[in-house]
Amino acid sequence: MSQPLEILLLDDEPIVGKRLKPALAKIGCEVEVFQDPISALARIDEKNFDIVVTDIRMDEIDGMQVLERVLAKSPKTKVIMITGYAMIALAREAMDKGAFDFIAKPFKPDDLRQVIAKAAAAIGSPIDFTPASYST
Amino acid sequence: MPIIIISSDAVQSAEQIAKATADAVGYECLGREILPEIAATNKVPVDKLEEALGKSSSPWRRMRAKRRSQLLAQIEAHVLDRLMADKIVCWGLAAHLYVRGVSHALKVRLVPDSQQEAGRIAKQRGVSEEKAAKLLQTDVRKQAQWSQTAYGLNELDPTMYDLVINLGQIDPDESVRTISGAVAFRKFQPMTYSIKCLAENAMAAKVKTKLLATMNDISVQARDGRVVVTCKALKRERQKKAAAIKALAGQVEGVEFVEVHLINYVIREAAESFR
Repeated sequence: MSQPLEILLLDDEPIVGKRLKPALAKIGCEVEVFQDPISALARIDEKNFDIVVTDIRMDEIDGMQVLERVLAKSPKTKVIMITGYAMIALAREAMDKGAFDFIAKPFKPDDLRQVIAKAAAAIGSPIDFTPASYST
Repeated sequence: MPIIIISSDAVQSAEQIAKATADAVGYECLGREILPEIAATNKVPVDKLEEALGKSSSPWRRMRAKRRSQLLAQIEAHVLDRLMADKIVCWGLAAHLYVRGVSHALKVRLVPDSQQEAGRIAKQRGVSEEKAAKLLQTDVRKQAQWSQTAYGLNELDPTMYDLVINLGQIDPDESVRTISGAVAFRKFQPMTYSIKCLAENAMAAKVKTKLLATMNDISVQARDGRVVVTCKALKRERQKKAAAIKALAGQVEGVEFVEVHLINYVIREAAESFR
C-alpha cells in the first residue's frame, strides 16, 4: 500500500473512537475521530476521506444525513454505518442511500477491520489484513 | 448477492416462478427437491417432512405438535445453512417464516388467481367449481392456521412480504421480470449486519434441532456465538435440565456460551401437587 487509508470516524460515544482508532491504526490507517457530527461535517467539507465510519443515532444530525452529505461531496468515499439500533428497515435505508456496509453494535474491532479491508479493496487500495493476525 | 424467498398457497405456481426467476437472475433454485437430503441427514421419512410443511387436516394433538416442531426445525436448520451461500431463490420450504431480520432476503408472496385455482382443484378432485372454490377457501384458512401455530405468524398478512404479486393480474413472465427487477434494488444487497443475522438464525436453528430431539417447548436465540435457550421445566428438574441444555447446545459448532432461561411448568406443577 503506497498511501495510508484516510478514515474519519464519527460516534458520539467517546469510548468508540478511543477503542477503534488504535485498532485501525494497526492496519495502517490514519484515523480522525469526531464525537460531534457538526465538526465532522465541517472536516468532511474540507477534505475527502477514503472511508467514513459513522454512527447513525446522534443528536442534531443523524448518520443518514452524514451519509448523504459525504456522498454528495465525494461519491468515491465509502461510508460504513454503525449502530446499536440495527433493524431491517434502517439497514435497507442505509444501503439504499449508498452506504458501503452496515454493522450492528456491539462488534469486535476485527469485524470493522474486515469491513475496512473490503472497502479498501473496493476503492483500489487493498490492505493486508488477516483477522487472526491482529489482536483487539 | 441477495436471496429471494417465494411463497404461495399455489405450490405449482411458486415452483414455476421460482425456477424461472433463478434462471433469469443466474441464481441457484432451492425447493422441495432437497427434502430427501434433509430426510437422509436426520434419518426421517421424506413424506413426514412434506406433511410437516403442509396443511393439517385435524387439530394438532400434543404428540403431533411435538413431532411437527422437530421436523420443521430440521428443515429450518438445513435450509438456513444452504441460504448462507446466497444467490439463491428458495420456494416451498416455509423460509418466509423463519428467515427473520435478514435485510438481503427479498420475500415475495404470490397470490393465486382464485378462479383458476378452483378450476384446477375441480379437475384434480373431480368436483364442481363451486365445491372446489369452497375447498380452496378451507385450504387457505388451514394454511394460515398452520403458519400461526408453527411460527406464530399469519402468512396471509401482506406486511410480512417485500413484494406481493397477484397472479390473477400479473402473468408468470411478468412476475419473473418484477421479482428480478426488485432484487436488483440496492437495499437488498447483503451487508455485514444481515449476513450475521442469517448466520445467527442458522445457529439458533441447529441448536433448536439438537434440543428438540429430546425436549419440547424450546425457544432459541443466538447472538455473537452466545445462545439463549428458553424452556419450560419442573422445579425438581431445573438443574438437571439446564445442564443438559448447556451440554447439548455447546456441541453445535460456533456456540461459545449458552444461557438457559427456565420457566416453571405451572400447570404440571399444580397437577403433581394434587397427586
